[in-house]
Amino acid sequence: MLEELDQDIRDHIEMETQENIERGLSPEEARYAALRKFGNVTRVAEETRAAWSSMWIEQLLQDLSYGIRALRKNPGFATVIVLTLALGIGANTAIFSVVRAVVLAPLPYPQPDRLVMVWESRPNVKTLSASYPDFLEWQRNTRSFGMMAALTFRDYDLTSAGAPQHLNGMEVSSGFFATLGVEPAKGHDFTPLEDLPHGTPAVIISDRLWRTRFASSPQALGKSILLDGTEYTIFGVLPPGFRFISDADVYTSLAQGEPLLYNDRTIHAIVSIARLKPGVSIGQAEGEMSAVQESLDRLYPVADGNLGANIVPLKQQIVGDVGGTLILLLGAVGIVLLIACANVANLLLVRSAARTREFAIRSALGASRARVVRQLLTESVLLAMTGGILGLIVAELGVSQMLAEFPQSLPRAETIGVNLPVLLFAFSISLAVGIAFGLAPARKSSRADVQSSLKSGDRGSTRSHLGSQSALVIIQMALTLVLLVGAGLLLRSIGGLRKVNPGFNTHHVVTFKVGLSPSLTRTASDTRMAYQQLLDRIRRIPGVQAADFTNIVPLSEQDNGGPFWVGPQQSTSMQDAPHALYFETGPEYLNTMEIPLLRGRFFTPADTADSEPVIVISSVLANTYFRDQDPVGQTITVAHWHTARVIGVVGNVRHWGLGDPGTYNPSQIYISFYQLSDQWIPAFARALSVAVRTPLDVATIMPAVRNVVYGTGGDQPVYSVRTMQQVVSESMASQRLPMILLAVFAALALFLASVGIYGVISYSVTQRVQEIGVRMALGAAKRQIFKMVIGQGLRLALVGLTIGAAAALILARLISSFSHLLYGVGPSDPVTFVSVSLVLTGVAVLACYIPARRASRVDPMVALRRE
Amino acid sequence: MSTKEQRERIELLQGTLDLLILRTLLLGPAHGHAIAKAIEFNSDDVLQVEQGSLYPALHRLIKRGWVSVEAGISENNRRAKFYRLTTKGRRQLAVETSKWERLAGAIARILRPAAQEGKS
Repeated sequence: MLEELDQDIRDHIEMETQENIERGLSPEEARYAALRKFGNVTRVAEETRAAWSSMWIEQLLQDLSYGIRALRKNPGFATVIVLTLALGIGANTAIFSVVRAVVLAPLPYPQPDRLVMVWESRPNVKTLSASYPDFLEWQRNTRSFGMMAALTFRDYDLTSAGAPQHLNGMEVSSGFFATLGVEPAKGHDFTPLEDLPHGTPAVIISDRLWRTRFASSPQALGKSILLDGTEYTIFGVLPPGFRFISDADVYTSLAQGEPLLYNDRTIHAIVSIARLKPGVSIGQAEGEMSAVQESLDRLYPVADGNLGANIVPLKQQIVGDVGGTLILLLGAVGIVLLIACANVANLLLVRSAARTREFAIRSALGASRARVVRQLLTESVLLAMTGGILGLIVAELGVSQMLAEFPQSLPRAETIGVNLPVLLFAFSISLAVGIAFGLAPARKSSRADVQSSLKSGDRGSTRSHLGSQSALVIIQMALTLVLLVGAGLLLRSIGGLRKVNPGFNTHHVVTFKVGLSPSLTRTASDTRMAYQQLLDRIRRIPGVQAADFTNIVPLSEQDNGGPFWVGPQQSTSMQDAPHALYFETGPEYLNTMEIPLLRGRFFTPADTADSEPVIVISSVLANTYFRDQDPVGQTITVAHWHTARVIGVVGNVRHWGLGDPGTYNPSQIYISFYQLSDQWIPAFARALSVAVRTPLDVATIMPAVRNVVYGTGGDQPVYSVRTMQQVVSESMASQRLPMILLAVFAALALFLASVGIYGVISYSVTQRVQEIGVRMALGAAKRQIFKMVIGQGLRLALVGLTIGAAAALILARLISSFSHLLYGVGPSDPVTFVSVSLVLTGVAVLACYIPARRASRVDPMVALRRE
Repeated sequence: MSTKEQRERIELLQGTLDLLILRTLLLGPAHGHAIAKAIEFNSDDVLQVEQGSLYPALHRLIKRGWVSVEAGISENNRRAKFYRLTTKGRRQLAVETSKWERLAGAIARILRPAAQEGKS
């Protein structure tokens, strides 16, 4: 039908011409009259084709191939746009991937919003671990929860069948997996029988351990494995990918654990999870829990007096305050995308100005306005999509880089990845951006007056373009300043934190854990002996200056709080007594960490289980409770231990973080590990970390340490090796992660904005060549022209800077209000604002330098002849 | 003359043109040029249709099945496409005509009182 269309039209015009000739016109006039009467041949043909509707696909293909051809002709332009978008979209996709996995995604259990953690609470402490006897009362006396389970984190040394292996695990009560809504994939779950002491030791293992250690053999079920010297029967294997908070490989029952930790109502060592019954709100559950706690208060005033309850949704507990930081980063990266889009819009504006003539010709040849707009949109979307695809690659690289850099600092990091929702997100940004920046120039171009464009040569409606371009550059500058201020404030915070004296020397110290062979630790005195011998061997390694152990490593978030009373007896209840952080260490610990001794002495090997119980206190405790007297020689009663004599005062250590305000457990007490009661030795021995002071590199010292440790028996793994510097860095992760990302974003923004200002100034120089030529012809010096161009750029930068500074002042206040990110620096820190403004101005001037130089080298003769 | 103006006129005439073509073909098959001539002649040259706009309209009618095409020889012995009204097209013409009459009547009723006011 359509293939003969051109012929039909030709015939038609031919007939009309013939008729006109018959009417007496000359052949030439006859043909013109026929053509005039027929109308625009191209357009008629096009609209006739459009009548057959598959037309739009054809047009799209045509637009696409035309778009590709047009972009190919101008590869620099296309490359800059695609790269700009790739960076903007990539950074956004990366952050969105993280936010989705960490904050947005539901927990991987059935009906995850019913899951909660149940804590006890003291007036000063919102989330206090529960005591196991209290937990049992909750389980018996509450109706709000469908199920409730207790757990505690524990490591195990697996020593049977193969090389000794250190495993993370948990001790759990029988309802643990059922509360989460998970069943073992093979074998069976714990039953209430396993909650009774003296039952058969049983273990449920992860799919990972089953595959790596048992080659996925079904025969593994019912076999026994040796964990910390005890035989456990394998009851079940969990489904692949099961995870609760940490990557645990073995789960044993609580009843098999340390009886001391679970039978005493005053010892708070239990994390408890629960599933709310359908229709029960957290408020209702909390009401019921308070009633239960009140009855416990009456029954056990010494142990449970003044204890409250606190219920936290499980997801909120796991995500913690990372959510706020991530939302902040999402905002920051959104700004980067805005800047990128402004750049792209700018470039498209310049290009559409240059193409005004092209589009005028196309309209004259019969292209409808809609067709021109569609052509422009196709090109923009093509650019945006290409940018989006490249952006995905950028995102993939960015996410893996980020996870490598901060393996521990994000909860649920194991699920982070660029996946389907993220892909959709990237594509919708690309499309939105494509349409948004495609439309503005398209509207302008298609509105252009065809005739005047055709007549005026290349420069159509350029003045109005320059106006909107300048506006875009000002916005870019303002947004960039905001990001720079954010990054600057965090950088200053980290600098402030680095200057904080942690109370010990963080350099040249390595910490690690050792799983001592069960054969060496059968009794308490054996255990004491085994640790003493281990340390003697380590101290003899060449290059080791000092070494000893501690149950908690400063700045590592390990906790060991407990009540104490000044004087020889327990004068108040557990809850009302002051609390301190307890370090159980050896005598060399002070020298190893280089903690200053302020008064008296530290422990010696002469302080043993048989000698008088002694303790060393920190300066904060001394200043708080012994203000007017010398604490040395006074007595302090330690819960679950003895009344001990104070033998020394040492400097306080910043245990809870360099920027810690000192409100939670600031008092510190040191107890010699060798003086601990026999019953407590097994519980604390498991927690011990060895600290070694050495000028040598970790990579040099650790093989020697491993040699010495393995030398004492074949079944002693060495693990959790970290330098104190690493511990310090990790303790700052909550600031370091956003700082590094913000710095990257700010650098990106700075780069994009400088490309933006360069583009605009350089375009304006091109537009003003004649004017500059005239100025020079009239006697303007090169230097004046140079200054004029730089001044033009500087004006844009300064306007943007002023707007940006105002916005940054507001935003920085926001940052400091919703998180604890800033340390030692106010939100309107003048140093940050001034230095950041200088950087931005400097970069802007630098970006204007090239066009300014070009302007100052304009040859007036050439410029004036150019018409 | 700008593209914009042309475009508006085509859109204005679109539905009417279809009707006129169908009406013209009621008298018998005709080729494109003859249809254009007939419309001009029958309207006493009041309707100045761009002849070209005939073709998109014809193809729309073909696509809807109201008009069919056949090869033939024109009056001056040239090969030409002849357009013929189909049965479906005939039915459609009746519908379109009554629709047009209703529209014209309505517009006339709106315009008449205004014209009388103008006179007084």
